[in-house]
Amino acid sequence: MALLRHPSRSRSRSRRRGPDASGARIWSWFMLPGTLWMTGFLIASLVLVAVLTVGTTDELGNPRFGFDLSSIRALADPAYTEVLARSLGYALLTCVICLVIAYPVAYTIALYGGRWKHALIAAIVVPFFANYLVRMYGWSVVLSDDGPLLRALRGVGLADANTKILNTGVGVIAGLVYGFVVFMIIPLYAALERLDVSLIEAGRDLYGGPVRTFLFVTLPATRQGAAAGLVLVFLPAMGDFVSAQLMGGPDQIMIGNLIQDKFFQGQNWPLGSALTMLLMLVLLVGMLGYLRRTRKDEAEARR
Amino acid sequence: MSPEVPPSTRRALLRAGAGGLLGAAVAGCGFMPAKTPDAKDLAPPRARVDGDLVYFNWADYVDPSVFKGFEKEYGVKVVQSNFDSMEGMVAKLNAGNRYDVIFPSAKWAQRLARGGRLRRIDHSQITRAKDVFGAYPYFADPWYDPGSAHTVPFTAYKTGIGWRRDRLGDLSGSWRDLWNDAARGKVFLLDDRDEVLGMGALELGLDVSTGDSGDLDRITRLLAGLRPRLRGFSSDSYNNLLNGNALMTQAWSGDMAAMLNQAKDPSVFGFEAPKEGTPINSDCYAIPWNAPHPGTAMLFIDYMLRPENVKKNIEYIGYPMPVAGSEKVYAALVEPFPECLVTEADLKADLFFRNGSRTAEDARDTAWTHVKAG
Repeated sequence: MALLRHPSRSRSRSRRRGPDASGARIWSWFMLPGTLWMTGFLIASLVLVAVLTVGTTDELGNPRFGFDLSSIRALADPAYTEVLARSLGYALLTCVICLVIAYPVAYTIALYGGRWKHALIAAIVVPFFANYLVRMYGWSVVLSDDGPLLRALRGVGLADANTKILNTGVGVIAGLVYGFVVFMIIPLYAALERLDVSLIEAGRDLYGGPVRTFLFVTLPATRQGAAAGLVLVFLPAMGDFVSAQLMGGPDQIMIGNLIQDKFFQGQNWPLGSALTMLLMLVLLVGMLGYLRRTRKDEAEARR
Repeated sequence: MSPEVPPSTRRALLRAGAGGLLGAAVAGCGFMPAKTPDAKDLAPPRARVDGDLVYFNWADYVDPSVFKGFEKEYGVKVVQSNFDSMEGMVAKLNAGNRYDVIFPSAKWAQRLARGGRLRRIDHSQITRAKDVFGAYPYFADPWYDPGSAHTVPFTAYKTGIGWRRDRLGDLSGSWRDLWNDAARGKVFLLDDRDEVLGMGALELGLDVSTGDSGDLDRITRLLAGLRPRLRGFSSDSYNNLLNGNALMTQAWSGDMAAMLNQAKDPSVFGFEAPKEGTPINSDCYAIPWNAPHPGTAMLFIDYMLRPENVKKNIEYIGYPMPVAGSEKVYAALVEPFPECLVTEADLKADLFFRNGSRTAEDARDTAWTHVKAG
């Protein structure tokens, strides 16, 4: 959600940088608990992971601090690059599918939801309070060979006895989309909710057809919501291992599965840390793209 | 005043960042054990009530009525916690958590005993020690714990192939069955490094825990040929067979026995112990060096070995236990799958997964990544 509010917060700060800046001191104190929390639990653990990248492992399987570059050298193994590329592909595909699914849903609720708006949003959000793992496990039952979906498809002749969804790429992406689509719906809904409907009406009045109005009025106005949604879906999808574990086969293993393996079965925390840092590097590149984009948008908006 | 505001927050951030780094350095020491055990910590405890029992095991691995009986007889409470992997268990121990009784597998028992993390167990304090060590001489001096000085065996099991007899008919009794064309695309391997590499090693006639890179290359090549026929790596063997996702799966004998309880018609399933050899494993009771109530832990081990409790546990979890007199109970339970039985001869074949050197473990780990990720 922080990502979502980012543009508006910076706008209000720039407004306040005028004569009444003394009040800003109080606000910076309010940031203290959050900052402490983040340094304590996020930055510190990140630093630990970064340091362990060059650590070693003792006979009991415990990680030890040290200086050993073998984990970093091990990253050159093509198996890791291949799996990382696959994860990237799955995550991007998941983003696109989520966008395609979420946009009409958010649009309908925001513009035509009327007094049911909040109830509809709650109906979307509440199921996501259930534990992710449990939902994925349930999903794997729904998609299993003798499960309800395939039985129904077989009933109408769309599938035969050999069709399977579980343990295929389709299954993994279905799991990822199901798991994270809500992160796309909410920012899009917020953006569409804020959208001034009179802009659409103005577009229509100026003889823009529905498609033209949508492309040149609605879409640009909700671009930031979509960008926030894309980031919110991409980050967890890229690091996910549950979907590939429960719904993937041998050819659908994602980078998250390998990292989990290194920390558990492999008892090789240094290599696990090195893989984590590699993954974070890829994510960071994606985030930089996002930040540049939003900054450009802001600059345009201010002009 | 106003121009100073942004820099001051930046300084505060820097300061907080430095604090965080310091915190990280302090937290980092947590990776090292805070205290190393001395001779007194490792001395064998006497069996007597010295507090509630803090029990740490896989979930659902003891019949709940046995806990109730123990609580009633000795007037103590059983505080249960569970782990989901051996690594998770050891990580918790290393982090300084204190438990009275734990259940490591043979390989981990060796690591913990060697690392000085387990209390010695005096066999004379256990009423039925003879039923275990006398009837199963293998466990009187197992490779993982010379003289069973720190452990008492709890269960023993093997790894084989479970399959749908109704769909595939009879198999040939070899690990080669996993390459069966009729099952293609519906075969699962366990999501377990040692089991998968061990299966490949047995098929090629190599040492089951080999860490030799030449051997591992051969295993990786062999398994690369099996990979296109696989549906996945999963340790949920019995659910995969029950819900039809698997026609054949590598499986632990105990899970197959547990499946018999769930199956409407057991005759549609089969379990074989391949003739090239089956990996053998055993879990054991052990008492960590920092156990708060080691005396109660001794009483618990003693209580668990009583014939009526052994019977209850065998029927509840489906794993055989090396206790004299329990063989008939288990044989009756797995009557449709006679190959689930673990005999003294199976143990003597000694196909246990052993600990390797760090280089060997790393080589096995790399091989596993290649087998799994392709």
